[in-house]
This record gives sequence, structure tokens and C-alpha cells, in this order.
Amino acid sequence: MQLMKHGAITILPLALGAAVYGFAFGLLAAQVGFPWWGVGFMSAFVHAGSSQIVAVEQFSYGSAVIGAVFAGAALNLRYIGIVASLSEILKDVPLSLKLFAIHITGDENWALTMAERAKSPDIGVKFLVGSGLVMIFVWTSSTILGAAIGSILPDLEQFGLGFAFTAAFIAMARGLWKGAAHLMPWAGAFISTMVVVMLGMPKAYAIVAGATVGLILSYLTRSRRGNLV
Amino acid sequence: MSEKHWLFIITLAVAAYSIRLLGLLIGDKIRNSRYSWMLDDLPGLIIISLVAASMADQSIHTWLSAFIALAIAIKTNHVILTMGGGIAAFVGLGLLV
Repeated sequence: MQLMKHGAITILPLALGAAVYGFAFGLLAAQVGFPWWGVGFMSAFVHAGSSQIVAVEQFSYGSAVIGAVFAGAALNLRYIGIVASLSEILKDVPLSLKLFAIHITGDENWALTMAERAKSPDIGVKFLVGSGLVMIFVWTSSTILGAAIGSILPDLEQFGLGFAFTAAFIAMARGLWKGAAHLMPWAGAFISTMVVVMLGMPKAYAIVAGATVGLILSYLTRSRRGNLV
Repeated sequence: MSEKHWLFIITLAVAAYSIRLLGLLIGDKIRNSRYSWMLDDLPGLIIISLVAASMADQSIHTWLSAFIALAIAIKTNHVILTMGGGIAAFVGLGLLV
């Protein structure tokens, strides 16, 4: 209990940042037609910040459900690695707690748990769950608040809110940029997507085409550098 | 909320949780496989494709705003600051043009 409380308190500064992000997401989701309770339901059961933004943006532009989900879920692939890295922490834990813990694990409480564990081996699943509970609560309630306010505001498109999605994607891209090795694949993905859109194809197909070209270029770049692992 | 909205949320929730479950069940195997580089590279490629798709048919005004947002992102590496600065640039340029 003490370690759970420790996790819940230690995560608070990071939760504040997530609250601002959650509020902005709620505002955007309400503007494209999601009710506040639908946003809350989504945040509690999906619990994936940037994936939710990406998927909602695609959904709002009329993409098929499967296309919007694909775009959102692809962004969450890093969780295969994140959850795999928890194997030691979750080793002796009952299955039900394991299944719950992986749902409430987000970037912030995972990173904090790993960093604290490096300093003290006592830090484990209780700290992860304590910090995760705070994060999912703050995330869900801040998105609900954003959606509730967003639903009573007039159409914010004229104030540039539509551009907010693009700006969010640019910021996410910056966060994912790991240096010059990305230049060729990213440029290839960017140009291919633009070309496919300009040819009049739906944007959902353009994104898949762009990501595929990027993966091929990434494979070639990594092969040349002997970095295919 | 329409049936399509419900379907969207439930499918996204199942997809997001399945990825986590995959990490729990066979995460180590995937990370040690010859395809692990795809896990690292695909998120960035999807995002850059999303940026391109949202910019493809836009005006010079939107492109300039995007460059300003990019400059803020490079400088701060912060999502909210980039969104705020990007919207401010979009509105400001809109008033000037």
C-alpha cells in the first residue's frame, strides 16, 4: 500500500502535463462530434493518448473505422516493447492484476517506474499500479472536462482548431525523430503520401502507402548500415 | 453517439489492448526477432504520413503555419506548446493574409 501511494504521489507532476494534453484532446473530440461521456468511455477503455488523437482525426475525416483504428493502433506498437520490458516486474503477480496493470501502463508511469526501479529494487508492480491509476484517472477526467467545454463552444474551426491536429502530429513527429537515419524513410513516406493524395485517392490509403514506402526505405537504410535488429 | 462511433471506440479499445497483451505474451520474442526494427520505425512513419496527408491539399497559409509549428516543435519538443503556437500562427497569419 505504501509503495502504491508512493507511485501515486510521485507521478503527480507528470499527470499535470497529461491533464493539459487530455483537455486539448477532449476539446478536439467534442468539436468533431463525440459527446463528453463517449470521450470518457474512450479514454478509460482505450487509454492511449496520441493513438486516440490520431484515430479520432482519421475518423472525423470520414475514414472507415478500420482505417482510423489502424492508424491509431500503429502508433501504439511501442507498447509491445514497453509491456515486454515489464516482464520482471509482473513475473510473480496474479494474472488478473497483470491484465489490469498492462491496461493502466502508459508512457509516463512506465518510464517513472523503470527509472525508480533502477534506483531501488523495491519498486515494482505496486508502484506501477499506483502511478498508473492516477494517470488513467487524470487522463479520463481531463478529456471529459475538455469535451464538456468543447461541446458548448461554437465551431472553433474558424479559430484554427482544425490545424491543431496537424500541429499535434508535427509535435509527435518531433518526439519520434531519432536522427539522420530517419531522413530517407521519412522523406519517402512524406512525399509518397502527398503524391497519393494529389492523385485523388482517399487519405487513409495514402497514409498506408506512405508508411509502406517508408518501411521499404527504412529496410534499405538499415541493411546498408548493418542495423537490421 | 451513432453505431459507427461505438464501433470505432470498441474496435480501438480492443486493438490497443491486444497490442499490450501481445507485449505480455510474446513481447520478448518479437523484440528479439528480425522484424523488431519495424516496431521502432512504424510509429514515426505513420505520423509523418499523417502530417503529409493533412498538408497535401492545403493553402500556403497552412504550410507557413506548419513550418512555424515545426520550428516550435524542434525548439521545445513539447506537444501542447507546439499545438498552441501552431494555432496562434494559423490565426495570426489568417489575419495578415
